[in-house]
Amino acid sequence: MGISSKNYWFKFIDTLPLIILFIISLNGSSVINIKFFSINIHYILVYYWVLRKPEILGYGVIFLSGVISDVVLGLPFGISSLSLLFVAGVAAYVRVVTVRITLINDWISFIPALLFANFVYFTSLYFSNYVVDYLYLLKNSIFTFIFYPVLWAIFSLITSSTK
Amino acid sequence: MDTSREDFGIAIRSAFLRKGTQQRFSLFVLIVFSTVLIFLETIERKPLQVIRSLLKDGVYRSAVVATYPLKIFSSTYNFFEEHITLYKNYDELLKENEELKNDISKSDFLELENSQLRKLIDEQTESQSNLLSARVMLDKQSPYLNSFVINIGSNKGIKNGMAVLDGESFIGRIVDVNYFSARVLLVTDLNSRIPVITEPSGSHAILTGHGKKKPTLEYLPENHKIEDGHKIYTSGKEGIFSPGLIIGEVETNEEEETAEVLLISDLNQITFVNVNLDNVSKKE
Repeated sequence: MGISSKNYWFKFIDTLPLIILFIISLNGSSVINIKFFSINIHYILVYYWVLRKPEILGYGVIFLSGVISDVVLGLPFGISSLSLLFVAGVAAYVRVVTVRITLINDWISFIPALLFANFVYFTSLYFSNYVVDYLYLLKNSIFTFIFYPVLWAIFSLITSSTK
Repeated sequence: MDTSREDFGIAIRSAFLRKGTQQRFSLFVLIVFSTVLIFLETIERKPLQVIRSLLKDGVYRSAVVATYPLKIFSSTYNFFEEHITLYKNYDELLKENEELKNDISKSDFLELENSQLRKLIDEQTESQSNLLSARVMLDKQSPYLNSFVINIGSNKGIKNGMAVLDGESFIGRIVDVNYFSARVLLVTDLNSRIPVITEPSGSHAILTGHGKKKPTLEYLPENHKIEDGHKIYTSGKEGIFSPGLIIGEVETNEEEETAEVLLISDLNQITFVNVNLDNVSKKE
């Protein structure tokens, strides 16, 4: 691979999280439902990249993708943004207090991120007079947590390809 | 103890208040901004509504472009799937055709009887509803909101609360109107409550969505005589929708002891809808 093509590859990898983030938002596919499974890839994406490479995924971009998500899914403005920013907040905090990068550290600290985000999400929905399915919320949180290592591995492969 | 508290404070400040590398906004500012946005959503002022409407229209158009590759993929997949299940469907359609032929003679008789009865009670037979056709622009079923976006809005006189039909069957109502688009809340949504009447048992009930394929009938009278196959129509109670719009038929769920409703329309396969302009405009 020549220098210029290598540069293009690095640039592409750098913008990949952004592309995925906006595709997810515009497609309204932040939550993937496959039969019994329900995974919120929006949360995982934001958490991982804010934790590992915050310079790639800016907070403003996260906010914007949340607003787009709200519009596409028909929710009141700001609800998804707020919950995504809380995920980003926990990720930023974990980044400040941890030194070593391990899957276990990331995975465990993803629990408070999920709890905060879902709390904010459903409190906002509740006050906006939306009916909330709490069982679905629990199921979604559990499967998002379980699925985290899979996306962690994929994203780690992507980030390692730029080194 | 004090040191750990200080460390915690420093970490929180660093995470939420400081702008990171190449970050234009701090997290705290954006969180406050998001909260303000949520509160603004509850304010029904004309300038705010115009801004919201423009923003939503813009995002919907972008979303249509962004979902285009996915649509092509899913339509290709459906095309192959349909070919695979062609023979199976052929047998089913043959059977269905036979049943329908039998039903036609029955329904002809019922239609005749119905028109005679209407004449008897001097009921004014209303002209065809004032329907307006629209195309489904964006069909993104969120786990919390079963809805889709259509390509007409206040530019064509669409208003909140109007009934939306697939052919002649009722599928939902308008809940959010922008200038070039509007959102339809489907009967399957958790937030959907529609007053209905069953036929032939004639019981009034509320059709309640649960975010699943089949909504259920609630607030039925205690000694109701509802059976499988009974038809469900909008009752027109409280003047919310025109009465007599068909929705589906009853399918009792013995395990959960609920009366579910099998919808006439497959909500995942809708491309065009009709918006009934009658009910809301009449009230106004």
